[in-house]
Amino acid sequence: MSLKVLGISDLQVSKTSGDVLITYSLGSCIGLTVYDPVAKVGGMVHYMLPLSKIAPDKAKAKPGMFADTGVPLLLKKVLELGGVKDRLIVKAAGGSELMDQNKVFNIGERNYLVLRKLLWKNNILIKAEDVGGNYSRTLRLEIDTGYTTIKTREGESEL
Amino acid sequence: MNIEDKIIEKISSFPTLPSMASKLMGLLNDAEISASEIGRVIQYDPALTANLLKAANSVYLGQSRTVDSLSEAFFRLGTKWVYQMSVSSLIYSNLNRPVNGYELSGEALWRHSVAVAQMSDILCEQLKIKDAGVVFTAGLLHDIGKMILGEFVSESFDDIQAIVINEKIPFEEAEKRVIGVDHAEVGGMTAERWNFPPAIVETIRWHHQPEKAAIQSDTIDIVHVADATCLIQGFGIGSDGIQYKLNNDSVDRLNITSKILEHAVSELVTALEDIDMMTSDIPAAEAVGRL
Repeated sequence: MSLKVLGISDLQVSKTSGDVLITYSLGSCIGLTVYDPVAKVGGMVHYMLPLSKIAPDKAKAKPGMFADTGVPLLLKKVLELGGVKDRLIVKAAGGSELMDQNKVFNIGERNYLVLRKLLWKNNILIKAEDVGGNYSRTLRLEIDTGYTTIKTREGESEL
Repeated sequence: MNIEDKIIEKISSFPTLPSMASKLMGLLNDAEISASEIGRVIQYDPALTANLLKAANSVYLGQSRTVDSLSEAFFRLGTKWVYQMSVSSLIYSNLNRPVNGYELSGEALWRHSVAVAQMSDILCEQLKIKDAGVVFTAGLLHDIGKMILGEFVSESFDDIQAIVINEKIPFEEAEKRVIGVDHAEVGGMTAERWNFPPAIVETIRWHHQPEKAAIQSDTIDIVHVADATCLIQGFGIGSDGIQYKLNNDSVDRLNITSKILEHAVSELVTALEDIDMMTSDIPAAEAVGRL
């Protein structure tokens, strides 16, 4: 097994047998996995913010920082590796919030809303998700099987 | 010995910061730090100077001219940059260690501390708040209490976490209820013992509860908001997770909008790269060669 760790704003795809993509400490950020079970290709992005218009130069250097640049790029890269759009299984985790936070701080909620909109426009459904709450998450995707897990303070389970 | 005495004893025996870091922080008592004062303090530390030049040259990567002296680093990158990089470099080895109890493995405490320091600085810039280094330093040291309280949290973690989940209260409140003190209080006591400037002591003490500070200050509000932001964004998270409260009055007092916050978050990832360069294991040989 080869563990590929994604940091904040990272994006990775793989079709290498034995690869496991993992990202830690998802708070208001969202971790999105995309997987094609036939081609056995998959990918993950760990984005921080909803829209790249806030800092277009940063989006250029690190497209995985934003939903509107990271998500389309992830889909594109999975398709380039041999994935087929109709077969893609998409799962999302994150979008948490702090206790008592006000509107200024609702980045998690906006991260999730932009994701829904982007996928809806592309006719892609979210197969499974674990979003919101006051805790952080670890998201993990096995490239051989597409087996996706989520780990929280409550323990680890399949997503 | 009761638990309070044990904690006080632990604070007394806790290794102090490098004397050079304390000297630099002593300069913060003046309204503005001058380049010559900082230069006088750090010029006798060749390792630090080498690290500074390494970081300075990484900022100017690809340019024909290199930064090959301290005075040039001051001139090209500014006094504030030299101060921030120096204090980060000096404190690095103190903070870059695992913290028991909070399960801050490896460099997680360091990553969180440096992210909060940088976020505090970015917010000051965006909000046009003048800061000579107090906010950055307070951000860097805000969680110092975790290093002392860790072993006590470790003994009672399950009890603390049960209260957090069942009663939906922030981690530091549950900590105080179970242990008798919380990590911010212990941090404040430690900072006081180390004779930190009072603004830094107060900020460490109230970084989770700015409403309880005797005197409100931009420094406390900024570090509180920066800490909240770095927690929710996932920079250096431990077993206490993101189970903390945001004080909305701090956000309002500083007039932080969604746009300001998001822009600051986007700046953070790049800002951290300078400090990574300072503390990375890449040999500073080239920079040393030019000393």
